[in-house]
Amino acid sequence: MAYFSGLSDALRITFVQMMIVSFIAMVIFVYGMIINLQKWGAGVTGYALEPEAGSKGSAIRFLKTWWKQVTEESHHGHGKPILETLVLDILFQRRILLRSPVRWFMHFTIFAGWMTLFAMSGMMFAVEMTERFIELPFTAAQFREVLQLPNDIFGYILLIGVVIALVRRLFVSEVREASIMYDWVLIGVVFIVTVSGFVADGIRTGDIVWNIGMSGETAMAYAPPAALFHSVISLLFCIAFIPYSKYIHIIATPLAILANKGGE
Amino acid sequence: MAKKQPSIDTKNLTAVQLMELDSCTRCGECVKWCPTYAASGQKPGLAPRDKILRWRQFMNKSYGVKAKLFGPSEIPDAELEEFKDDVHGCTTCGICATVCESGINTVELWESMRTNLVKKGIGPFGKQGMFPKLIGQYRNPYLLDQKARLDWVPEDVKIADKANIVYFTGCTAGYKQLALAFATSRVLNKLGIEFTMLGEDEWCCGSALIRTGQVHVDEVARTLAKHNVEAIKAKGATKVLYACAGCFRASKVDWPRLLGEELPFEVIHITEFLQDLIKKDKIKWETSIDKTVTYHDPCHLGRHVGVYDAPRFVLEHIPGVKFVEMDRVKEFQRCCGAGGGVKAGIPDLALGVAESRVKDALDTNADILSSACPFCKRNLSDGRDSLKADIEVEDVIVLVAQALGLSVEEPKSE
Ligand code: HEM
Ligand code: SF4
Ligand code: SF4
Ligand code: SF4
Repeated sequence: MAYFSGLSDALRITFVQMMIVSFIAMVIFVYGMIINLQKWGAGVTGYALEPEAGSKGSAIRFLKTWWKQVTEESHHGHGKPILETLVLDILFQRRILLRSPVRWFMHFTIFAGWMTLFAMSGMMFAVEMTERFIELPFTAAQFREVLQLPNDIFGYILLIGVVIALVRRLFVSEVREASIMYDWVLIGVVFIVTVSGFVADGIRTGDIVWNIGMSGETAMAYAPPAALFHSVISLLFCIAFIPYSKYIHIIATPLAILANKGGE
Repeated sequence: MAKKQPSIDTKNLTAVQLMELDSCTRCGECVKWCPTYAASGQKPGLAPRDKILRWRQFMNKSYGVKAKLFGPSEIPDAELEEFKDDVHGCTTCGICATVCESGINTVELWESMRTNLVKKGIGPFGKQGMFPKLIGQYRNPYLLDQKARLDWVPEDVKIADKANIVYFTGCTAGYKQLALAFATSRVLNKLGIEFTMLGEDEWCCGSALIRTGQVHVDEVARTLAKHNVEAIKAKGATKVLYACAGCFRASKVDWPRLLGEELPFEVIHITEFLQDLIKKDKIKWETSIDKTVTYHDPCHLGRHVGVYDAPRFVLEHIPGVKFVEMDRVKEFQRCCGAGGGVKAGIPDLALGVAESRVKDALDTNADILSSACPFCKRNLSDGRDSLKADIEVEDVIVLVAQALGLSVEEPKSE
């Protein structure tokens, strides 16, 4: 579902469109990241200091300060080794598990589903691209077949997490009342991207639930635009939008956990 | 056209701290645990998550994408003033950092924000602004004569001129809560531990300045740290003992940072020192304290520097003591409410938090609520009194003195 699908010879224009959209998405992402890095880099380089006179925020300064903090010893005496932090606190997200197993399950399914689909989409894209220039031992269509099952599995894993998160925000009054636009936009966008992926895939393969009632010729007609829609919003929302929304936590949270050696 | 200036600057906020603002996922854990937020009747502005959100918005208004493209948007002074009040409604207890799912070092963030605002002329809170001048002048926050530092020392207590061990009394024990000083010095004497004191040359540890965002003002905090370190060196000591969580934290974490070098001596809390002696079987108890005792972890001893076991170990080895735990202990302890300038700045809030903590202790049916910090003792006692609760509040070292058959009173003058 969520991977780069629906490109066929009949859709060359779409291919060009996709390349353009991807490019735009990357440009927006990079621009936003530079601004964020500069914003962070406007900070000082160590405890109780003043910003360097006259200098504006710089991405390099941020990276240097971050690296210094990652590698220096802490006086508090509760720093954990980098590898442990990387595996347990970032990949496994132990800090969420310690606080709430339900929320950990919710987030871990989103995280694992998302990252895997993202990686598989990347691979699919790479195959479709290379196929145009050199001959591969398999066709893109065959490769898509191979990915179909893991794609479905991780799609559902993602969906489970997204639904839990959405239901929690909508129906647990304490959480709903504390939610602001910043929160709604992230979970809303993830929801739309996930569902649109299922629908695009459902129409193409004729899945009884996800084909949203389309079959035969209608499905044939709507499959490519549905795939296109999904691909475009995935690129725009999930790449371009990162620096401008709560998505930034995908980058900032692991960096913060590393800088604080796994946290207190 | 003159370019508009951002309404806030980034003084004292490290690049990593600015990133931490964007790493908050608004999970809400900190809000659930924050003691001042709870005791204030859930005043929204006190919630740690909300403070992070507001400063993130300040940053974006000043340095974000829109600010880059169209110039920074102004933050009204009233908003910054309100933020200042909220960021000072925090005891720096650190539980928000312990539970933060994003691993943010929130306490340092609050302290940096406080300092940043003070540098802008916003804050500190209320009368706290007098601290640097007064402490700088008097060398202690109680405006008492430095020459009176050792006035409390009773005749029976022997203090060496020079020794390997210094007992750093702290202003609160040395001037106000003498029982703590009597207990500590007599226990050391009784155990045959030779120690010395800095006397006039013991200056305030600087904690009150550092915690309230005034670490930089006139370099007072650095001067204090430097002086104390020099004085300790001059005594030829390699170990310094503390019975005050605030001084202990300041010495262990803040002094080396302020001075930019490791300290040439070991910083040891008295309970750690006693734990070691008990393990070596060097303590012969004389009386038994047949009471149920619970223990409140001082934030600045526990969460801030990780001393959880030593005080418990000591209590459990006092004959007769039945040790019980409260619900929220160790890294999840509920603060007593005194720290971070709150006791001095917002006494009602401090009292509210203390009452919650005393209730935790009452739930255990303990006879004694012990702690290892004079500020905790003072504030918990106030909480107990305002609840009219029947529970004794006492420092661990005072209980140790009692079990060693020592008095913690001033000797009766003949
Ligand atoms: C290693 C990287 C990541 C870390 C450490 C991390 C951490 C977190 C944390 C602590 C929360 C708050 C959860 C709670 O409410 O208890 C959160 C929320 C969320 N994260 Fe992540 N995250 C990471 C990567 C990702 C990725 C790759 C995605 C993919 C989209 C993602 C999507 C979400 C969503 C949708 C929410 C909001 C859930 C809601 O609205 O309740 N995260 N993240
Ligand atoms: S340090 Fe303690 S009092 Fe301050 S915001 Fe965090 S939880 Fe609240
Ligand atoms: S616990 Fe940490 S991540 Fe969660 S809301 Fe508080 S500051 Fe943000
Ligand atoms: S007085 Fe005690 S409990 Fe309170 S902040 Fe200090 S150490 Fe924490």
